[in-house]
Amino acid sequence: MRAKAIVKDADLKALTGLCAKCGTCRTVCTLYPERKAEIAVARGKIALVEAAMSGEDGDAEAVQEALTDCLLCGRCERACPNQVLVEEIVMKGRADLAEEIGIPAWKRVLFGKVMTSPSATEIARKAAAAGQRLLPGKIPTASGLHYRFPDGLGGEGRTVPKLPAKGFLESLGKGEAAAGEVMLFVGCVFDHVFPQVGRAAYETVKASGKSVAVFRDAACCGLPAMVSGDRRSAAECAEANVRRLRAAEPGSIVFPCGSCLLMFRRNVFSLLPKGTPSYDDAVFVADRATDYASFLLSSGVLDRIPDPPPGEKVGEIGYHDPCHLTGTLGKGPEAREVLSRAVGPAFAEMAGADLCCGYGGTFNVRDYPTSARIGENKVSVAARGGTRVISTACSGCVLQMRDMVARTDPSLRVVHIAELVHQALFRGDGSGLRR
Amino acid sequence: MGADAWYTFLMNPEALSALGNLFGERLRTTLETRICYSFDATGKKFLPDAVIYPINAEEVRQTVLLANRHRFPVVPRGAGSGFSGGSLPVHGGVVLSTERMDRIVAIDTENLYAVVEPGVVTETLKVEAKKHGLFYPPDPASLKFSTIGGNIAECSGGMSAVKYGVTRDYVLGLEAVLGTGELLRTGVATAKGVVGYDLTRMIVGSEGTLGIVTRATLRLLPHPEAAVTLLAFFSGNGDAVGAVNAVVAARVTPSAMEIMDRTAIDCVQANAPMSLPEGTGSALLLEVDGTPDFAAREADRLEEACRACGALAVRRASDAVGRDDLWKLRRSISPALRRVAPVKLNEDIVVPRSRLADMFAFLRDLSGRKNVRIVNFGHAGDGNIHVNIMISGTDADETRRADEAVEEVFRKTVEMGGTISGEHGVGISKAPFFEMEVGPLGVAVMKRLKGCFDPNGILNPGKIFLEEAAVRG
Ligand SMILES: Cc1cc2nc3c(=O)[nH]c(=O)nc-3n(C[C@H](O)[C@H](O)[C@H](O)COP(=O)(O)OP(=O)(O)OC[C@H]3O[C@@H](n4cnc5c(N)ncnc54)[C@H](O)[C@@H]3O)c2cc1C
Ligand code: SF4
Ligand code: SF4
Ligand code: SF4
Repeated sequence: MRAKAIVKDADLKALTGLCAKCGTCRTVCTLYPERKAEIAVARGKIALVEAAMSGEDGDAEAVQEALTDCLLCGRCERACPNQVLVEEIVMKGRADLAEEIGIPAWKRVLFGKVMTSPSATEIARKAAAAGQRLLPGKIPTASGLHYRFPDGLGGEGRTVPKLPAKGFLESLGKGEAAAGEVMLFVGCVFDHVFPQVGRAAYETVKASGKSVAVFRDAACCGLPAMVSGDRRSAAECAEANVRRLRAAEPGSIVFPCGSCLLMFRRNVFSLLPKGTPSYDDAVFVADRATDYASFLLSSGVLDRIPDPPPGEKVGEIGYHDPCHLTGTLGKGPEAREVLSRAVGPAFAEMAGADLCCGYGGTFNVRDYPTSARIGENKVSVAARGGTRVISTACSGCVLQMRDMVARTDPSLRVVHIAELVHQALFRGDGSGLRR
Repeated sequence: MGADAWYTFLMNPEALSALGNLFGERLRTTLETRICYSFDATGKKFLPDAVIYPINAEEVRQTVLLANRHRFPVVPRGAGSGFSGGSLPVHGGVVLSTERMDRIVAIDTENLYAVVEPGVVTETLKVEAKKHGLFYPPDPASLKFSTIGGNIAECSGGMSAVKYGVTRDYVLGLEAVLGTGELLRTGVATAKGVVGYDLTRMIVGSEGTLGIVTRATLRLLPHPEAAVTLLAFFSGNGDAVGAVNAVVAARVTPSAMEIMDRTAIDCVQANAPMSLPEGTGSALLLEVDGTPDFAAREADRLEEACRACGALAVRRASDAVGRDDLWKLRRSISPALRRVAPVKLNEDIVVPRSRLADMFAFLRDLSGRKNVRIVNFGHAGDGNIHVNIMISGTDADETRRADEAVEEVFRKTVEMGGTISGEHGVGISKAPFFEMEVGPLGVAVMKRLKGCFDPNGILNPGKIFLEEAAVRG
């Protein structure tokens, strides 16, 4: 008998015990149509975690591999009649296995060394931006240049955004937006990769008339480390962030990125032990953390949008539901309300709005071809339904869908809703709010 | 099963390598994949030696030929949503997953039938048919994930059985690989056909023991234009059953008539609360379909019947969203039972509709006598009750009392002129009680038939018949 339990987390037993093996999760799993095998589905993964807990399956690498093959989109969890917390099970399982056998070296360096420190992230970006000039095959898209990733590196056909020379935070003056009642948590992608989103979010939030600070000493929110099973790095990120956020004493904290928001609204609580000061800090942050659209709706900014809203074609703009923001946190109607008010009849419900974009964070790195197939399907369903501009509110989704439109139909545009709101507020005809 | 059996391969390496030649990467023998095909919705576990994912009938045929040569079991599996352990490889061997045989081959809009592969998910067919204005009525609660192959093998029924019948009533013809490796085509693609023995019906409900269905021709109907759903609340099971009888007496044929007792309602409440009238002890979900006028008129008559039988409240919806909302309560019950107790002994007896009230009374009494929790819901219109005996699974005495209760339920059912399974099949769960219903001659004839289809006992051994000889001799 090879009865060595390779997954041990005591909470896991209670979590997996609720699964009735009914199979409902098969109907919604983002990955299942790609794999057509039970191992890809929540039910199969749960069975593996159970086997690993009881010592029946002692092959840690193989179980880790199976658990890694998941987008953590949470669709299974939302469909489950027993409310089995699948994401939690997968993440905890990954964490236990990481403890048992570690995580791949590249992830260790990235999460342990780079992402916990703001300056290192910036240096990494600069290095990447410089290195990118060496990449071959520029291809044009409506939103600027993309680079075609060299084939044969596991990312066949992948395009990467042209990294800016300056990040958003870097572009702010030294003392600018240093303190205020509203705190903006830009997130690394909207700071370093798409600074125009960071800026649009900042200026539109500022249009509320409130004093706005930008969170400068942000570490990564910790989600990438957490989903990879590196709970220690994730907890370090989270702790550093909540401590600094609390010290700034904001009235509310606005997140343009749904993934970052999920981290502070939900995930941090399984990383930080109850009863510690960090936990209290996390509660403070969670109470004030809000998604970008909800903030706009409550702030009155939208009332300042001049009538009629600027003219895109009727029904041309759609909204993609980020899994975590709409699915897990239930923030779907808010963004739609913002869009209706910002762009008027140009907004229409998008075909396949709630289909996962296939990014899944590290999943996109791990299995790019699959991630791309899911993503291409996503944008082509939208395009067939008539959408020309896909808007959304999560950094991962923006990254993924920009890559997908570059691959399939570069005439489509992918934007953050803040960019559309910005355009509506500050449009050049003199009727709008101007700086 | 001993702990070691869980890991050990029972199949000989030669057989596995022959399968490898046939299936390439579509043969999986990793422990992880085997674990993922070791269970179904019964929660029981038996580890297969290997899993294969054929994509056509020829591959299925080759597999069965190999199985005859090397004497290993072949266990067909659709979505593994079965409630009687039908897809569990109790003697190891190969699980043959139909997940990749999932094409709708044709929808014939003139002759009103569809040709499909076995791995097609039931709802997918319903949705595709509807696009042509056509209707595939069978609707097991598992329709979103269970497969046509599994439905045929179990002869699944659903909510609409009361008006439209069950899977059997829609299978016109089949293509199946027999236990000999021969490819048999049965039935017709016409509305009628009476030539010879009805081999199609032989295979429907045979739980993967006579043949592996590789293709099916399914009857379609014109899609009803409209439907109205009603959810009526009553103070006790008796009133609800009274309403069922009143509806039948009023000569209305609802397309669904589902009953739920209070415990069943409470299970769902924990996850997705809905406001209940004070004093709710049971609920009845009713649906009528047809032209909009007809459905509305029939719905009025149903509502009247419910109110006359003491309904506390009746909710009603005719649009898709509203109807879905009312249906949610019913559809969520079965999996949500997990919240009541970790282990459920899930039975699906049928009694003549006129005996429903007696059966409910018997169950209430039984629950008290045996001191076990019993949750009941089901297809009241068909007399089909899902009797769920809920236990911890860790208390030996409780388990014994529950087992006794199950046996009593079956005895009572047969005594009332009913059947011990309305839809889940015999599988392994009901094998011990099989003879109780069909009698010794019934068993003997069925075994002789099994011998014709599958002389070496390759297909799904260990199911239906208690003392099925193990495949390996
Ligand atoms: C939540 C839930 C609700 C349910 N509700 C209902 C209900 O309302 N009514 C009902 O009748 N059942 C119901 N069931 C039971 C189950 O869904 C049905 O029995 C269903 O038909 C099984 O289909 P499957 O594809 O999952 O088959 P599986 O469970 O994989 O297999 C079932 C049987 O079919 C055999 N089989 C599968 N494919 C083939 C094939 N191609 N050829 C030959 N044999 C094959 C298997 O060997 C096995 O014996 C429910 C189950 C769940 C989990
Ligand atoms: S839907 Fe939920 S209970 Fe059902 S198999 Fe999936 S995780 Fe388990
Ligand atoms: S989280 Fe998404 S990809 Fe992962 S099992 Fe659930 S539905 Fe599938
Ligand atoms: S989720 Fe992504 S965008 Fe947000 S902070 Fe973490 S790494 Fe940056």
